[in-house]
Amino acid sequence: MLVKIVERVKEFSLPGKAGLVVILVVLLVAILAPCISIHPHNISSGPPLVPPGGGHPLGTDELGVDLWAQICYGARVSLLVGFGTALLAALGGGLMGIVSGYLGGWPDKVLMRLIDIMIILPDLPVMIVLAAFFGPSLLNIILVLALFSWVFPARIVRSQILMLKERSYIKAAETYGAGVWYLMWKHFLPEVFPLVAVNMIRLSGRAIVAEAGLSFLGLGDPTSKSWGLIIHHATNFKGIYYTDFWKWWLLYPWLALIIMVISLAFISRELERMVDPRLGR
Amino acid sequence: MTADQYLLEIKNLSITYHAVHPPVKAVDGVSLQLRKGESLGIIGESGCGKSTLALGIMGLIKQGIVEGEIIYRGQNLVGLPEKRLRNYRWKDMAMVFQNSLEVLNPVLSIGEQIGEPLRAHYNLSPMEIDQKVVKLLEMAGLEPEWRHYYPHQLSGGMRQRVLLAMALSCDPELLIVDEPTTSLDPAGKNEILQLLQKLQKKLGFAMILISHDLGAVKKLTSRVMTLYCGRVVELGITSEVLKNPMHCYTRGLLNSSPNFFKYKDLWGIGGEPPLGDSVEGCAFYPRCCQGEESCRKTRPPLRYVALERMVACHKGGIETFLRAEGIRKKYILKDREIEAVKGVSLEIKSGEVVALVGESGSGKSTLAHILAGVLPADAGQVFFKNKKVEGRWATKMLGGMQIIFQDPFSATSHRMKVLEVVREPLDIIKWGSKEEREEEAIKALQKVQLPVSPEFLNRYCCALSGGQRQRLAIARALVTKPKLLIADEVTSMLDPSTQANLLRELKGLQNRHGFAMLYITHDLHLARKIADKVYVMYRGEIVETGVSFEIFENPEHVYTKRLLREAFRDLV
Repeated sequence: MLVKIVERVKEFSLPGKAGLVVILVVLLVAILAPCISIHPHNISSGPPLVPPGGGHPLGTDELGVDLWAQICYGARVSLLVGFGTALLAALGGGLMGIVSGYLGGWPDKVLMRLIDIMIILPDLPVMIVLAAFFGPSLLNIILVLALFSWVFPARIVRSQILMLKERSYIKAAETYGAGVWYLMWKHFLPEVFPLVAVNMIRLSGRAIVAEAGLSFLGLGDPTSKSWGLIIHHATNFKGIYYTDFWKWWLLYPWLALIIMVISLAFISRELERMVDPRLGR
Repeated sequence: MTADQYLLEIKNLSITYHAVHPPVKAVDGVSLQLRKGESLGIIGESGCGKSTLALGIMGLIKQGIVEGEIIYRGQNLVGLPEKRLRNYRWKDMAMVFQNSLEVLNPVLSIGEQIGEPLRAHYNLSPMEIDQKVVKLLEMAGLEPEWRHYYPHQLSGGMRQRVLLAMALSCDPELLIVDEPTTSLDPAGKNEILQLLQKLQKKLGFAMILISHDLGAVKKLTSRVMTLYCGRVVELGITSEVLKNPMHCYTRGLLNSSPNFFKYKDLWGIGGEPPLGDSVEGCAFYPRCCQGEESCRKTRPPLRYVALERMVACHKGGIETFLRAEGIRKKYILKDREIEAVKGVSLEIKSGEVVALVGESGSGKSTLAHILAGVLPADAGQVFFKNKKVEGRWATKMLGGMQIIFQDPFSATSHRMKVLEVVREPLDIIKWGSKEEREEEAIKALQKVQLPVSPEFLNRYCCALSGGQRQRLAIARALVTKPKLLIADEVTSMLDPSTQANLLRELKGLQNRHGFAMLYITHDLHLARKIADKVYVMYRGEIVETGVSFEIFENPEHVYTKRLLREAFRDLV
């Protein structure tokens, strides 16, 4: 199994490989955050607004908290929110898609209309309202984001299931008395998994940006050092634009976000290319 | 019914030869009734007691014990002393024996031999006897001069006519003819049969015809009886029995006759008849394709199973596997309705290959899906083994019904390996252990001539050719050992050799195990070769149905005629 994955990865193009490397680095940074940051991330450890250099590799913010430590811990938040949302959305959406596609009839119609409504709703404003309503907490953010993202995997999975249902081998398995669980486990999931995986990566990119956006607007968890929160604090600082402080305080979180999202985009493109021609596989 | 109504009535006749040890019961409880002028055919394998029965009726059994009653015109002939029996012989009952060179005395001339019964029964002067002999020879179609010659100077056909003349010499009421057409050339055969027919019409005697040749039986008799091991297994009107046999043994005999099924391969009945000691239970059980343990316990009685048809079988004859009544299915598209199947009724019996033919779009695949329970019908019911098909019970059992779909590429999942695909039905119904399932899967693969090496078994299905995938689908259907297979164009992608081997395998299953198949095809040459019955479908309706030799020789419906004309146009 591992050999297969390694083989496929070798076929990635350069941006894809670069993206994969970056994500792995971010993952490592997030996991090893306490080890690689000398200074604590939530207590001031030096004079405020110190430019990068010396004891503080990326400088400090207005409270004197080390920026590098903040970014390291912020990586955790981004990854958690990003992949947590993607996983939840994929699982929930996938399941709904399978149920809707396989059963057909009224459940299918109801679900489809629900999905239509969810797609039409502008997600960011509603997310803002819901986030404001439910209160700032990471779990709430994840739930709210998943609530808006499950529709995309659901539609894709449903269309695949509709196509698969008519295949003769599914009908043959049904004549032998195969139940829904058997079909799902043995036939549907392996077929659907590649598409859902690609979608998951894309969803996680969107979720990270959405979370950063919410935090930027001040609706995120104030205790988590989300990158968006750092930017939020930075832009709220009066005089950020007239001074040099933006060169590290605003730049580095922003760079981190961009690098993360771009690498995710590259990876998802590679996966899509991999899955597509071998859609029969 | 008074005894006078029947010319000959036999009640529970048993004839046992005690000269051999252990005693051989050649005739076992045979009962029959024959009216004046009626003709009855007796068919069966060699050694089933036909000639013994004939000899028994004539009272010529010397080394055997005869039990039961033979009532001729109200008089029981069993146990009568020889002198009285002799009065009946030749005057009332005459027999045309089987082996004509042995039966005729080589030192007497033909005229003397034909005159012998006349001398024995009538008081006539030699001149009158001679005149009668001349008349008899003319009636039998021989020149009168031949009465001066000896038997070895005549050909086989002529000797047969001499025997016939001898038998008819005293104007009998009942004529028993034992194998009149063996070792005759076709012209001679036809002549004898035509002669018998003419004479029967002219002289009005009752006839019992014992023959292997089913063509002769079809031509000359109005009723036919099948004997097996000295027991009657089927009795009915000849044309009906030959078109629709209801006992497995009769059907086996018919399938072995090339003059009925001109294109089908010859398949005999497997096994041998038992030696002759009385068998408990049904005598045909070891060779029967639908036998069960319970058939061995008691002897099946000869019972009416249809109008004018008696069969001795515990299951009431050949059992019906699939019966569909009034199936309807309509597809509703956006702006129109398509009636795919309009009121179709269908019946498939055990051990029968039924071909369903028709043009593209006539509704064959829809009908097949409905019969297998994959597609729900709008109206009508399907019964498998007399139980209604609802849900999947018929297809998820071993020894049930299976369907093979038309498109092989979508019939197997491209993510699964070969062994997994064939093993899947057993996995789903959770049969046996993993090794047993793999063993069954390998056996099924061997039946369809796919390799069973480990590297082939681990190959993914997307790496197989169309023909291989079709065979894989067939192997998967065969792994549950179905009794009825609905095959929708399953050999369309196969080369002729593989197709031939596969169909031979399936025909072997049909012959030995009573396997039945509904074979949907466009290839009418193939249908003609393998089918027992044919259903012709046109625009959702069955327009014609019948036994395959009748449909292919004499189609009645306009559409069938057109279809056959198109199919057999080039005779390639």
